[in-house]
Amino acid sequence: MIPCTEFIPAYSELFKFLENKGGRAAVTDFWNFLSDTFLGNLRDLVAANGIRGCWLYWSRTLNEEAADFTMELDEAAGEFRILMHHCPSKGRLLAYPHLQPYGEYCRHCDSLYRRVLEPLGYFYEVDLSRAEEARCSVVVKRRGMGGSANRK
Amino acid sequence: MAREVMRRQASDNPYFHRDFHATLNQGLIYLQERFGPAAVRDYLRQLGRTFYSPLNESLRRGGLEAIRQYLEKVYSEENAEYEIQSNENDLEMKIARCPAVSHIRKSGFTVSDMFCETTKTIFETICEDTPFDFRLEEYKPETGKSRFRFFRRPR
Repeated sequence: MIPCTEFIPAYSELFKFLENKGGRAAVTDFWNFLSDTFLGNLRDLVAANGIRGCWLYWSRTLNEEAADFTMELDEAAGEFRILMHHCPSKGRLLAYPHLQPYGEYCRHCDSLYRRVLEPLGYFYEVDLSRAEEARCSVVVKRRGMGGSANRK
Repeated sequence: MAREVMRRQASDNPYFHRDFHATLNQGLIYLQERFGPAAVRDYLRQLGRTFYSPLNESLRRGGLEAIRQYLEKVYSEENAEYEIQSNENDLEMKIARCPAVSHIRKSGFTVSDMFCETTKTIFETICEDTPFDFRLEEYKPETGKSRFRFFRRPR
């Protein structure tokens, strides 16, 4: 068993392994597979609760991952935001002195969640410009609520 | 229509997200389906030689006590029911049920039929270039109940 506290390096190494096997296309194909087979809980929560489904989903996962974050829900505006002040996953990867993280590690979040949320009628936007500091932000906005999600 | 804000710091919660077990399981299933069983083992060997290289180094320098401390730490954190017996030449561990397998099943996912490789291949790799070897003596796929040994190689 690989303990769940050691999953993140296993995840990063899997991306590296796949890229060596089949290039970036193999990594993207895996992210699509994972989104389709693993994120049914996010899909169900948003389908049943609208934008609040995002709040319900990330309330559990980000707390279990001991993330340093601010999360905002505005149901009237159809908008949900995460400001990740310090990502526990990327932060761990950067802290291991003997491990080289997969270069595009943070892209997996964008790929996985966008694939679930856009078909349900939401804009999904992520700002990874500070990913190397383990910081990012995500905006999910219901379509028809005033244009695309604006980066914060 | 509600407006809500949640602010959390890392120190507010323990770092323990069991769903990661299921994510890894999906990774093993994907690798096996797309690239075959050898790819699963190759990937786990890569992980063993990179992320687990400090444990390999500890085993080489400090012997089985390093492995014992590691196993007690991670299986205690995962609330597993286990027994370990060890001396300087031999370590045997019995696990009543694998916490990862239990969580994957409870979450409604099919457990990869190669899930035992996360124990077997990883620990075999950690033993590379050390005086020790590893053997998975017993494994029940339904529950992940297992018994395994680290032992000093005959000279």
